[in-house]
Amino acid sequence: MGFFDTHLLNLVIFLPLVFAALVLLLPGSEPGQLRTVTLLGMLVDLVFGVWAYARYVPGGPEFQLEYRVPWFTEFGLSYHLGMDGLAASLLLLTVFLGPLVVMASTTYITHRVKEFHLALLVLQTTMLGALVSLDVLLFYIFFEAMLIPMYLLVGVWGSEDRQMAAVKFFLYTLVGSLLMLVAIVALYFLSGPSGGRSFDYASIYNALLGANQELARCTAAGTCDQLGGLARTLHTWGPVMFAAFALAFAIKVPMWPVHTWLPDAHVQAPVAGSMILAGVMLKMGTFGFWRFAIPLFPVATQQARPVLAALSVVGIVYGALMCLAQRDIKKLIAYSSVSHLGYCMLGMLALTAEGATGSAYQMLNHGVSTGALFLLFGFLYERRHTRLMADYGGIAKVMPVFTASFVIITFSSVAVPGTNGFVGEFLVLLGTFKSNLSLVFGVLAATGVILGAAYMLWMVQKVFFGSLTHRENQFLQDLNLREFSTVAPFLALVLVMGLQPQPFLDRLAPSTDRFIARASVGTPGATVDESKLPIEVQPLPTEQTAAAPTLPSHPLAAAPALVPSTNRP
Amino acid sequence: MDFQSLLKTAPIHPDVLQQSLWMIIALPLLGAFVCGVFGRMMGRANVHLVACSAVAGSFILSVLAFWATSHADAGVPTSVANAFGGAPSRYALWQDLGTWFSAGDFRVNFGLLVDHLSGTLLLVITGVGFLIHLYSTSYMEHDDGYWRYFAYLNLFVAMMLTLVMGDNLVLLFVGWEGVGMASYLLIGFWYTDAAKAWAGRKAFITNRIGDFGFLIASFLVVLLVGAFVKQANDADLQPVASTSARYSAGLEQRGPLTFQGLETMARALPDASGAVKLDTPISSGPLEGRTYGGVLTVALLLFLLGAAGKSAQLPLYVWLPDAMAGPTPVSALIHAATMVTAGVYLFCRMSFLLVMSPTAMATVAIIGAATSLLAALIAFAQDDIKKVLAYSTVSQLGIMFMGVGMGIFWAATLHLVTHAFFKACLFLGAGSVMHGNGDETDIKKLGGLRKEMPWTWVTFLIATLAITGIVPLSGFFSKDAIYHGVHHNHLHGLEWVSGFLYYVGLVIAACTAFYMSRLYLLTFEGQRSPKAKVAHAHESAWPMTLPLVILAVLSVAASVYAFPLLANSKQALMENFLSPVFSAAVGSRGDAGIAKAAGTVALDTSLPSLGSYAMAWATVVAGGLLAAFLYMRFFPAQAGVPAPGFARLIRRTAQNKFYVDELYEFLIIRPVKFLSFVLFRVVDAFLIDTVVVRGTAWVTARVGSALRYVQTGDTQAYAAVMALALLGGVLYAILKVL
Repeated sequence: MGFFDTHLLNLVIFLPLVFAALVLLLPGSEPGQLRTVTLLGMLVDLVFGVWAYARYVPGGPEFQLEYRVPWFTEFGLSYHLGMDGLAASLLLLTVFLGPLVVMASTTYITHRVKEFHLALLVLQTTMLGALVSLDVLLFYIFFEAMLIPMYLLVGVWGSEDRQMAAVKFFLYTLVGSLLMLVAIVALYFLSGPSGGRSFDYASIYNALLGANQELARCTAAGTCDQLGGLARTLHTWGPVMFAAFALAFAIKVPMWPVHTWLPDAHVQAPVAGSMILAGVMLKMGTFGFWRFAIPLFPVATQQARPVLAALSVVGIVYGALMCLAQRDIKKLIAYSSVSHLGYCMLGMLALTAEGATGSAYQMLNHGVSTGALFLLFGFLYERRHTRLMADYGGIAKVMPVFTASFVIITFSSVAVPGTNGFVGEFLVLLGTFKSNLSLVFGVLAATGVILGAAYMLWMVQKVFFGSLTHRENQFLQDLNLREFSTVAPFLALVLVMGLQPQPFLDRLAPSTDRFIARASVGTPGATVDESKLPIEVQPLPTEQTAAAPTLPSHPLAAAPALVPSTNRP
Repeated sequence: MDFQSLLKTAPIHPDVLQQSLWMIIALPLLGAFVCGVFGRMMGRANVHLVACSAVAGSFILSVLAFWATSHADAGVPTSVANAFGGAPSRYALWQDLGTWFSAGDFRVNFGLLVDHLSGTLLLVITGVGFLIHLYSTSYMEHDDGYWRYFAYLNLFVAMMLTLVMGDNLVLLFVGWEGVGMASYLLIGFWYTDAAKAWAGRKAFITNRIGDFGFLIASFLVVLLVGAFVKQANDADLQPVASTSARYSAGLEQRGPLTFQGLETMARALPDASGAVKLDTPISSGPLEGRTYGGVLTVALLLFLLGAAGKSAQLPLYVWLPDAMAGPTPVSALIHAATMVTAGVYLFCRMSFLLVMSPTAMATVAIIGAATSLLAALIAFAQDDIKKVLAYSTVSQLGIMFMGVGMGIFWAATLHLVTHAFFKACLFLGAGSVMHGNGDETDIKKLGGLRKEMPWTWVTFLIATLAITGIVPLSGFFSKDAIYHGVHHNHLHGLEWVSGFLYYVGLVIAACTAFYMSRLYLLTFEGQRSPKAKVAHAHESAWPMTLPLVILAVLSVAASVYAFPLLANSKQALMENFLSPVFSAAVGSRGDAGIAKAAGTVALDTSLPSLGSYAMAWATVVAGGLLAAFLYMRFFPAQAGVPAPGFARLIRRTAQNKFYVDELYEFLIIRPVKFLSFVLFRVVDAFLIDTVVVRGTAWVTARVGSALRYVQTGDTQAYAAVMALALLGGVLYAILKVL
């Protein structure tokens, strides 16, 4: 058991923070140094993040690279990290975006450079932390802390209406998450008898599992009036708590109709803000549904599923229709996010292996393709300082490399086979058709295929093709080396993820299987793989040292990378 | 060694060659990459070299692969084992490059299959593709975007090859969308002209509507296979020499959308033994209660929507005429010879499913006939040489759909091939005409080119005769084979379709003769128009005329495949050649075929009689002569006399394509745009954002400012409120206790 078995995740999370401290020490008058140090920090973090991803073994225990030490034991709190396949994949996405975001902002940000990079590094830490926290309160802390640097990014370095957008973004998301906090506290009290309560994800889930199963049985039989104990509480309050979780995450996703903060925030945010927002932060919503809302309340999920699926489909179609009505390019991309995230939600709610895998993959795809779209548009915005389509036209002539990159990303966004978007969208739609949701959901969601092409190509047409209509666009510079090397990783990933998705999917598969099993607890008549239900994690070490776990016989003691077949004892 | 055994001895053994099938696709893909990324640095000649040699290499490999499919070791033809337990696919090569993606029960492999059908198409794609690359080197000699052009063209070829070589529906879909993407890029090649870029977009989105159908149809097929596996027992699969366990194992290994698996299922479905028949209701899953046959029909109709998008059939044909905005060689390759025939290929590939549903077959055939007739009528009044050819393509594709729909798959494939030859020749001829006449496309402003462009003239004439169907040329035989099949095959329950469509077909043939003669006469015969852009046209260089000559020769020579030349069979050459592919659907010697087992189509195997040949020929000649009379005698004599009102009205209507584009604009595009605008303004900006979101903020602020007045700072008032509240509390407590 080496140092990295226990501390790799800590390293990944807190490296950006260490570099933030370093940035703090540098003089604010030296933007070059600040950028270099930040970039270096992000690159080092990328190395460790990729390492962590590579160390994740699909066949191993559910949560790997676990680390757990006591922390406010009197409140049942512990500092508990660990990642499953989905968290590992999203972690990879986050560390992948990190250096690119810094490179994208090199010339974009000219004032308060030091604060900007501080915010970026802190934001990175909070996002990574939220992904790998296995303590619900710890997750909540990271989840909320994310808002602050993002608020600053939009509010300080945004465009003309930044204040309004930042406040709207902050309050909108806060409303949901405060309700979620109430639900989290309620869960704490349900997690055990007084003295045995815990905020730990595994403890809460395992404590509720029996009650959830009982509840599912009685719901199917219609005999829920005779319930007692925890099941009764869940019967009464489960839907309310689910609603609190669901609202918080639905705002974050964002699902229709709580999406209106997104266009404003995206439009006003600087290129870095848009990239991170689209790339990672929206996934916190889908991730939250996946990790918390749905497995903890499978019966309530089952009841709300038609509604949520309907909202997702509305989001897909409505988001696409919104795009057709936009004149502002960033707004169009923002609404396209609403549409794409609708696919993620629909695939998840389909509760089929295909749908959930597609949903998880679509989370990664959306981070890549929409992140790249915002990045590319950021380059254009730097040159022309306008977001209106009408101010462009025919710029393919003057910026051929830029155009080629943009068109490739566009094809990824409209899910042309061979690009990453296709695999995700295909699996989501297939999963929806296979699910016990009505076929109407699948058919309506598939219309997004048509509308997606319509609005994206319309935008490409308006911006790039035709004759040069504006004199100002005549001498636009094509991408320089720095800019192209920022875009190139995205282009490469679009093709790699499109043609070789299986390595990524293999790492998602254990998470999807468990997710499906846990979510199906509430589905009447579903056959649930009982072995996938309980969550096994490290027990809390008893002594107060922040050391490695004391039990060498624990499954994690055997380094999973060496013995991939070592499963649960 | 006699000729037959030469054909059966491939220079490279199939076992060796099938390890390299991927190279057929990889070569043009590599060419596209090299030309696209380094093209500008390499210079024109190098780009030409790379692009042409990539396709040429692919062509050589295709020839070898094609040859290898017919290879026989000691009389045993090369075959591919059936992973699903059924009979092996004979005369086929197969390469599996591993998993593309899998999730749950679903799996897609990179599996490449070359059998006689895809082998034939490989030759057409790479062969005609190479000629068109060669032609383009001269045609695009003055264009600065040459490297982009050749990159796209190579990309297209690679995608088209993926389409025909994919051994499953998803990989086919990769090619299907990939060619759409390449077509989008090539139609909008001259993107500085906004109208041309719009045309590309229109093509892509119209195709996407079809793809929507294709995707849903694929999902339905997945569900169908899933239901079949659950419900079928060994007795179902016994006639195809498989078992449920073997079939499930095949699914696990190869996924539910492979053609081999679908064929095995299709053979098992109509059989009388076992638990599952076409009219059995599905027992579980999302399709519960619906019958296998019913779901199959729906899926096939959705595939028809997809095919209609790609192959420009009603109601989605509108993109093809606009697609003529692209460079002419592109029109020849993509919008005449290869991509647009993908729909026909799809149905040929899935013939075993199609023959189980007479409803779907009839719909395919009727859609084909209706499109064909409509397009032919529109072509009457078009003056743009490329537009006439575009509508003629739509019309010919309609004829192929008629063939596919009536179960005469081999003839549809033959027509696909011959059409690729003569239509590519016509388009390239049109390109040559444009090239020599300062890019003039209006046939009214051409004329008299016969002497000035002799090679173009003679090849164009041959191709025109081929497409109209004059006796010794290939178009006559391939088209007549379709008509004969349409006439004599009978769909169960829909017998009227056969006779009806046959006569529609004759009308179409007459129309084709009419508009093609008109096109030919106005362009090449008569006097040179005084409105011509250049006084004297010049003949094109050899890279342009050589492909024309080769294609013209092929248009003549291809008729050989329609003749019953075999000693031991009275089948036409092509029918016999393709029978390993279509025997599952229509049967062959020693194989009843699904059509007979399901009792859905009564197939006829007779050869056309001389009488019907004569009738078809007479129709065509009549159409051609009418055009000759009108355009050589009647209209020149009427010059200066105003045409009567009704004639002008008809002409205007046909010229404006029966206002179908306007109809779509009015019925679909505008409502969608309006809806999105209204939703944005009313629902999003006003209801959600203003009323609810800002409303909440406003109410909070108002409530806050109202409550502000409570904060007076007056200690006495605070004390009074406190005292009152305490009193109230005490009172409540007392009441409770009492």
